[in-house]
Amino acid sequence: MKLPSLSQMRGVVTIVVRGEGIKRLINELARQGVEIWDLKPLTDGKMEMNIRVTDFLQLRPLLKRTGCRVKVKKRYGMPFVMMRLWGRKWFVFGFTVFIVIIFCLSSLVWDVKVVGNEKIASEDVLSAARQEGIYPFQWIFRLPEQDKLSANLTRNLPGTSWVGVSRTGTQITIQVVEAAEPVKKLMNPRHLVSKSDGIVSYIYAERGQPEVKKNDRVRKGQILISGIQGNKIVVSKGEVRGNVWHEYNIEVPLVRKQKIYTGEKKQRGYLFFGNTAIQLTGYGKVTFEKSQTLTEIDPLTWRSMKLPIGWMSEKVLETTEIELKLSEDEAMKSGLERAKRDIIAKNGRTSVILEQKILHEKTDNGKVYMKVLFEVEQNIAEELPIVHNQGE
Amino acid sequence: MSRFVRKFRKWTVDALDLPKDLVFDLPRLTLIGGKQLYIENHRGVVHFSPESLHLELNKGYLEVEGSGLVIKEIMPEEVVIEGRIDGIKYRGTEE
Repeated sequence: MKLPSLSQMRGVVTIVVRGEGIKRLINELARQGVEIWDLKPLTDGKMEMNIRVTDFLQLRPLLKRTGCRVKVKKRYGMPFVMMRLWGRKWFVFGFTVFIVIIFCLSSLVWDVKVVGNEKIASEDVLSAARQEGIYPFQWIFRLPEQDKLSANLTRNLPGTSWVGVSRTGTQITIQVVEAAEPVKKLMNPRHLVSKSDGIVSYIYAERGQPEVKKNDRVRKGQILISGIQGNKIVVSKGEVRGNVWHEYNIEVPLVRKQKIYTGEKKQRGYLFFGNTAIQLTGYGKVTFEKSQTLTEIDPLTWRSMKLPIGWMSEKVLETTEIELKLSEDEAMKSGLERAKRDIIAKNGRTSVILEQKILHEKTDNGKVYMKVLFEVEQNIAEELPIVHNQGE
Repeated sequence: MSRFVRKFRKWTVDALDLPKDLVFDLPRLTLIGGKQLYIENHRGVVHFSPESLHLELNKGYLEVEGSGLVIKEIMPEEVVIEGRIDGIKYRGTEE
C-alpha cells in the first residue's frame, strides 16, 4: 500500500466519522485533493479512515457543512511521539545529557603511549608531545593532523629518525624510531707516530702536543703528535701528512693471456628436489676442451616462499685462451698503473703521487723489469697507545 | 463537446489507436485477482458498505460487490478498493 509521503513523520490520525453526509464528505475530500486512505465502513453507518494531522485540523468547516461528527480513534507519527516525550521531558533531557557526556568523553584523549624507545626516556617524548598538544584529557578534535604532529615531534626530539603518531579510539600511540647513532668507541690515550720515513708536509693537531713541524724529517716510529700534554695524558688526534718515497720492482709480461668464449654452448636441464637433481635434457658428452659452467636455479615459489622443488639449468660454455701481445711501452704503462693503484690502496685515497722516477729498466725473457721510485704525499700518522707502568 | 470535435476525436482515436479512456474521459478499471480494484476517472462515492460500493462515473455508475471492502486510497480521479471482490456491475449511459 502506498502511503502519502512521510506520513509517519507528519503524524496520522485514524478517525471514525458518523453522520448522514459521510459520502459527501468523502467525495468532497477527494475532490479537494485531501489524502485519506484505508476507508473502512463500520456497522451502523460509521466509517473509519486515516488522515494526516494537518488535514484533520482543517476538517472542521467541512464537517459542519456535511453534518458529520468525528471521533479520533488512534494517533501515530512523530508529532504524537514528540508530545508524549514532552510529558517525560526530564527523562528525555537526562538521556540527551547522557549521550552528550558519552560523546564528550569519547572525544577526549585518555591515554598516551610511547612505543619503541630504548635510549630516549618516555618522559622526554611525553613532554615533547605535550608541547605539540598531545596529553591526556585533550580534545581529539583539537589535535593537529597526524603527519604534522609526527614531523614536529621528529624535529623536536633529538636522537630520533622518525616519530609516528597514531590514534585508536581514545588512545594515542607515539611510535619512536631511534636514530642508529654510531657507537662511540672508548679510546685509550695515545700518541700519533710516523709510520714511515719521510718529510712532514702538513700537520694539524686537534688534540695533543705537536712534536714536529712542517718540512721536518721524520723516521719511522717517531712521535708526531704526543699524547702527553703538560701533565695530562690525552687521546691525541690530528692529521699529519708527509712526503714518502716508495720503491717498486715491477715485472710485466709482454704476452697477456685472456680467456674468451667461443660461442659454442651446451645446455642441460635438471629437475631438483632438495639436494637431488635429475637430469632431464641435454644428455651427451661435452666435447669442449676447456669450458665454463654457469648454473641457474629457478625454484618454484609460493607467495614469497621458495619451495625445495624446481628447475635447474646448466650452461656449458666453451672457452678458449688467446694471447695478447703488448709492446714494451704498453707493458711499462700498465705496470706503472698497477703500482700506482697499489700505493693508493695501501696508503689511503688521499694519497697524492707527486713524482715517479724510473731508476732501471730492462726487457728479458718476454718480460719488462722496472725499478721505480715514487714520491707520494700521504697520511703518515699512526696510532700508538700510551701504556702506563710498563715493566718496571 | 461539439459534434465535430467529438467526431474528430473519435477519428484520431481510431486512426492512431489511442486508449479510449484518455481521450473520452472513460472510466478505466484494473482488477487484480479478486483482491484489488483500481478505478480511474470516477466521479465520487455514492454508497459504501463492507458488502457493496457504488461509484458515480462520468456517464453511468459502477457497482462493486464483495465482502470486507475497504477504500485503500481515494483521490480526485482515482480510487483503490481492496477486499474480496465478487462482482462488478457497470451501468453505462453513454451512447
